[in-house]
Amino acid sequence: MTPATLSGISQHPDRAMSLSTQQMTKSFGALCALDHVSLNVAAGSFHALLGENGAGKSTLVKCIMGFYAADAGAIILDGQRVAMDSPRQAQMRGIGMVYQHFTLVPCLTAAENLVIARPDAPGIIHWRTELRRLEAFMDRMPFRVSLNRHVADLSAGERQKLEILKLLYLDQRVLILDEPTSVMTPSEADEVLTLLGGMAQRGEITVLMISHKFREVKAFCDSFTVLRHGRVTGTGSARSATIDEMSHMMVGETRLRARAPRKSRPVAQPAPLPRLTLDAICADDQTGRRVVDNVTLDIYPGEIVGLAGVSGNGQSALVEILSGQRPLAGGRLLIGGKPFSPCRTDLDRYKVFGLPEEPMRNAVVPRMSVAENMAFRSFDKPPIMSRTGFISPSRMRAIAEQLIARYNVQTASADAAIETLSGGNVQRAILARELSGQVEVLIVANPCFGLDFASVAEIRAQIMDQRNRGAAVLLVSEDLDEVLDLSDRVGVMSAGKLAAVIPTSDTSRAQIGKQMGGAELKPDIRHPGDSHARVS
Amino acid sequence: MLNTRVIESVTIPLAALLVSGLVFSVFLLILGKSPATFASLVWTGGFSSWFSIQNALQRAAPLILTGLAFAIPARIGLTLLGAEGAVVIGGFSAAVVAIPLVTAGMPAAFVWLVMASAAMVVGAVWVGLAGWLKHHRGVNETISSLLLTYIAIAIVSFLIEGPFRDPGSANKPSTMPLGTDYRIGGMFDSSVHWGLAAGLVLAVALWVLMARTPFGFAARMTGGNLRAAQGQGLPVGRLLVACCAIAGACAGIVGFFEIAAIHGQANASLAAGYGFTGILVAFLARHNPLAVVPVAILFGALDAAGGLIQRRMEMPDATMLVLQGIIFVVLLISDTFHGRLPFGTSQRTGART
Amino acid sequence: MTQAEPLASMMIVFYAMIGGAIRVSTPFLFVALGECLTEKSGRINLGLEGNLILGAMTGYAVSYNTGSAWMGVLAAGGVGVVLGVAHGWICKLPKVNDIAVGLAFMGLGTGLAFFFGKPYIQPSAPRLGSVPLGGWSNNPQVQQALQINPLFFIGIMLAVFLWWMLRNTRWGLVIRVTGDSAASARAMGVNVDMVRLLATAAGGCLAGIGGAFLSLSYPGSWNEGLSSGQGLMAVALVIFARWNPLRCVLAALLFGAAGALGPSLQSIGVSFGYHFFNAAPYILTLVIMIASARSRSAAIEAPRELSIIK
Repeated sequence: MTPATLSGISQHPDRAMSLSTQQMTKSFGALCALDHVSLNVAAGSFHALLGENGAGKSTLVKCIMGFYAADAGAIILDGQRVAMDSPRQAQMRGIGMVYQHFTLVPCLTAAENLVIARPDAPGIIHWRTELRRLEAFMDRMPFRVSLNRHVADLSAGERQKLEILKLLYLDQRVLILDEPTSVMTPSEADEVLTLLGGMAQRGEITVLMISHKFREVKAFCDSFTVLRHGRVTGTGSARSATIDEMSHMMVGETRLRARAPRKSRPVAQPAPLPRLTLDAICADDQTGRRVVDNVTLDIYPGEIVGLAGVSGNGQSALVEILSGQRPLAGGRLLIGGKPFSPCRTDLDRYKVFGLPEEPMRNAVVPRMSVAENMAFRSFDKPPIMSRTGFISPSRMRAIAEQLIARYNVQTASADAAIETLSGGNVQRAILARELSGQVEVLIVANPCFGLDFASVAEIRAQIMDQRNRGAAVLLVSEDLDEVLDLSDRVGVMSAGKLAAVIPTSDTSRAQIGKQMGGAELKPDIRHPGDSHARVS
Repeated sequence: MLNTRVIESVTIPLAALLVSGLVFSVFLLILGKSPATFASLVWTGGFSSWFSIQNALQRAAPLILTGLAFAIPARIGLTLLGAEGAVVIGGFSAAVVAIPLVTAGMPAAFVWLVMASAAMVVGAVWVGLAGWLKHHRGVNETISSLLLTYIAIAIVSFLIEGPFRDPGSANKPSTMPLGTDYRIGGMFDSSVHWGLAAGLVLAVALWVLMARTPFGFAARMTGGNLRAAQGQGLPVGRLLVACCAIAGACAGIVGFFEIAAIHGQANASLAAGYGFTGILVAFLARHNPLAVVPVAILFGALDAAGGLIQRRMEMPDATMLVLQGIIFVVLLISDTFHGRLPFGTSQRTGART
Repeated sequence: MTQAEPLASMMIVFYAMIGGAIRVSTPFLFVALGECLTEKSGRINLGLEGNLILGAMTGYAVSYNTGSAWMGVLAAGGVGVVLGVAHGWICKLPKVNDIAVGLAFMGLGTGLAFFFGKPYIQPSAPRLGSVPLGGWSNNPQVQQALQINPLFFIGIMLAVFLWWMLRNTRWGLVIRVTGDSAASARAMGVNVDMVRLLATAAGGCLAGIGGAFLSLSYPGSWNEGLSSGQGLMAVALVIFARWNPLRCVLAALLFGAAGALGPSLQSIGVSFGYHFFNAAPYILTLVIMIASARSRSAAIEAPRELSIIK
């Protein structure tokens, strides 16, 4: 049986279907991720969905794919209003998606992955016949992947191709691609997009591609839609719109928003010494791939250096090095010119503090109490530790209760397990722990991810406050607004490398956005082990 | 105010014990035995008289220590089964180190001190090795510690039958006997040896260590979230090895008392299976060093009643193994109810007490 | 003393080693194949030691009562299935740790075996027959060394079958998908818990049969010291074999040879260090674990859902 006969429609000459959404709305708690979004993708077109992280692109396609039920709005497929209750159902209707995290099974070969994905995979697989059919299928396909290799051995780009091939093999006629080229080399990306574009043009498929990269959108797409903060901010022909226009729709004007007051730095008489220095540091992931590549950076007292970039370009690994969670593969860390290693003595000696990303995973022990979690920095020092070397739970609780009141942490009691708190309150508890004393160096990573507006404003104000008091702050964030809002200087990380760090006032949103999108930069290679699947 | 988690960690294991009792009763009924007789024999053999209480406490002593040997590493997130091996190799070291001292006629107290230290150090190193392998080589500690146990037993058997064999031990190869002057007697005119005191002191000391010192706090942090502990700059590797070494030392003391108070010489009887029962004790105590004590006494009493049950009910000595196995399985099933009980928990405590 | 004598005794040790390796390896092979199947589905069962001992006892008892050793093997497999299903069912409950459940079943299986096995320590049950492969030699010691149990051949065939099944059938692929990525499996509509339960049950069955070999072939009697950690070493063996059933055969033979070292030296009168040689398989296992723990190839081939390697 060939995949073409899986669904009876394959003989249909015009295989491509149109896809649109009408007034799609979706909220997560207080956050409105999609606000009456209408999207129109014509049959046989190659449509780009643009937007920053958190603009709502992923939410939109996940609603289309049946992962989420939209609060309101409709999905129209080939002119028919359809209900999409599950990804399975979307697949049956011919809509397939390539996710940012891979759905291929690494221990299986490419051929095994394709065959087992078929709903009608036979009980006993005659590999010779299957392989012959797969080869025949591959011959019809615009690009091919070696069938007998294990997926674990394929490069990220090849895996991405295989993900796309899987959809075509399953006879999916609307392809949704979530930043498909972020793991490909530019030539691979060009090849794949050209061929998909050709298939769309011949009316075989319809493609909806989420992207950051204007170059690709300009070169391969027919039309585009831009989302910002859950709203459609523009749509049009990718051929006629300029990059500046698209960029403008994507990142918007520099809006006036309530921001933390920034004290200007007094001009230091002698040039100040850098507080934190990363000197040519490198790190590898478990499989030996280089994820942080020769990053050099000086951070001075009283400034915030922001690192922007698409998730998975080495920023997480960089923060892990500074948090002692990942060994250095090369280079050194200095504080005030002296060698620094992220052990407890040095953290205390140099007053280094941190707000790591994903607090539940990196910053708290979920089953320990709020009081205990708030004592992580101080349990081995007076006043919590007595002179005889014992911990006093009553003093620990008293200190925690003061901090809970001061930082307005909403909790049933200081003895409640911290896992019972909401995300904003967990982050406030961590702020209280890390920022209540004197801070000289502060490492911050995606501090506001998934939090409500009130918490976001409060956390940003706290970070700014530390800067104003003279701390050297490293801010790593996927939220470009946040980086531009808070930082004195900005750099972009891409493929483990750090581009030049320039004063925020000398750059613009559009310029940074272009850099993040790969303009003026070397190939953007993403490491799957390093990326966290996220709703944006 | 008691917090729900504390209530749960008392009621759920108690409920599990109760359910295990019911399951075991069904098991007995199927075999045509009377659960009531069983229960009354447990009472007679374990609690009813001063004699049986002494017997129970005597048997509880090693269980407290092996229970601690499982509970302490468990707090830092390790499932360590090395206690049995540390008992054997620690006991053997104690017996061997005593030979020249006894021959030289050193005072008993000094000999005991040296023996106990030897047992603790060797046990600590032996089990600490599993922790070291875990941190530095990524070897799964459950399997490595169990393998170390088998290796310890084989090596000790080899040494007892070879270089250290007392020519006088014809039937059962053993090391040189200590002699009555060097045997540790019972505490305060009882037949319960001082191992119980050691167990009680260590249980309290380790509770203080885990609950009230920076070391214990850091260990609990590491056990609860390794990445957060690293983020706070804690020396995670050293903490892991230290917890394993503490476990090994606890088990080593068991070996010391087996030699100095019970057997008087090292032989195959050292591998008496305290390690496995200790695991169960620690699980029931939810890895709390203080709770280990009553649980160990309960199992000591069950063990003490074992002989009586064997004779009166004509049941094999493995009956207790079956009961322990049932308790263990039911207890693990009960884990799924943690954090899922409604506020009814407090009513249930009320009903039981 | 003639010159031929040391050579002859060397040859006897050699054949004793081969025969011994095959005999000792057979239970390893069954437990390892069972564990391999279970681990391929992403679940670890440390309780196979319990299956092994209970299987040994059940096999012996049934063989004694029915007079048929093969009925014993069947019954041992059946008991293994029961323990496996119980393990699989408990592990699918939330918040339950599969390693601890394995320990509990190790204890329960051992306890039940000792409890019901008491009456069977003395009587002699019919054993499994052997295939004589030493007919070419007229040395009786060689002939005796090469008495091979049919279960060994069944084990080899099973290994080949499992290897084939894991790559050539829908079921095999589903098991591997489940072990590699539960999320992908669920996305394909696979019932992950059910796959793991079945894989654990089948694994338990094989471990039970391995136990029957212990009591019905070699050493060939039921007593309480019959198994000493084979069930557990099989877990390490599977890691060493990198989850490949064919490599499990080789690994089992290697372990068998290590285990046969002491007895075969004893067969020519070298009894020094018998207990020391008994430690050989454990030391070998530990060394192998240390060598393979951070190996990149093991990391690539490991089922990614396995709790023990996370």
